[in-house]
Amino acid sequence: MRSKFGKETGFTMHEASIAVSLLDQLVDLASENNLRQITRVRVDLGISRLVVPEALELAFAAASQNTVAENALLEMREVGIDARCRSCGFEYPAAVDDYTCPSCGQAKADIIAGNDILLVSLEGERGWI
Amino acid sequence: MTTVKVVQSVLKANDAVAAVNRQILADHNTLGLNIMSAPGSGKTTLLQKIIPLLEQPCAVLVGDLQTTRDADRLSAATVETVQINTGRGCHLSSTQVADGLATIDLSGIAYLFIENVGNMVCPASHDLGEHLKCVVLSVPEGDDKVAKYPTLFQAADVILLNKIDLMGVLDFSLDRVLEDLSHINTAAPLYRISAKTGEGLSEWVQWLHVQKNSTLQGVAAVE
Repeated sequence: MRSKFGKETGFTMHEASIAVSLLDQLVDLASENNLRQITRVRVDLGISRLVVPEALELAFAAASQNTVAENALLEMREVGIDARCRSCGFEYPAAVDDYTCPSCGQAKADIIAGNDILLVSLEGERGWI
Repeated sequence: MTTVKVVQSVLKANDAVAAVNRQILADHNTLGLNIMSAPGSGKTTLLQKIIPLLEQPCAVLVGDLQTTRDADRLSAATVETVQINTGRGCHLSSTQVADGLATIDLSGIAYLFIENVGNMVCPASHDLGEHLKCVVLSVPEGDDKVAKYPTLFQAADVILLNKIDLMGVLDFSLDRVLEDLSHINTAAPLYRISAKTGEGLSEWVQWLHVQKNSTLQGVAAVE
């Protein structure tokens, strides 16, 4: 991921590119909302994205150094997979290793939830930097 | 203390660039395929073999951590090739693909193959702007890979089982692969191929021709 931060950090895992994208958005949001310090960030991790929370936490801590989000608490919640069957239209919760439709028995799943990483909210201190 | 509610995708920057890539390809009537697999499954050999069989102009974006070896091999087959070195990156990003596309004249190009970094985890979750995801599994990797890397196989629009000429030499159970796929992905067709001997390639070529018409017509209809 090309980024304001990617070049210098040179991360290796996909958690790293996610951390950098997250930070890019946080920096913009802090500026838009006049926050001088971000203290808490809530993120929903779709489990189908195979993000390792500990790895994301580490990558975020490294990426956020010397930024408005330095030392922010990263609260992560894992979100399960919801699928819609392309065969019969039934909607059902799926597992990472089983996408069988309970209605028709096919595994022709469109993932409708659990396939995204969402920045849900952030908390911070208002004021000029 | 101030709370700001957001609810936006962290990957929206990647996804936005991917959507632009997909449209650029569709505008040129170019079908984009993202080829994903473990290292050494035979992606480059497959492209060397399949492109002449397609009998239409093709281009390739090749992602690797280091070297231009894959691009050199493909250029020898007079295919327009762009090598993307990801350095330490474990997958291609939509931005890298956008940069690669900017260097290619897509006029008249029927198929763009994006050969992703050999990796069965990270590429699965990054939209590059392709129209179809193709996953290659080769016989020497073992028959347990579908179950071990379900996310990649779930995302596949087509699965190629490569190096089937080694099926009799190695203990590889096709039944096990099919059984695992029966609860992970029954939508994607599976083609048994050998890029080395050419077995099964003409069937996949037929599939590609059909997809090019149906997929790109679908995209145009949505616009």
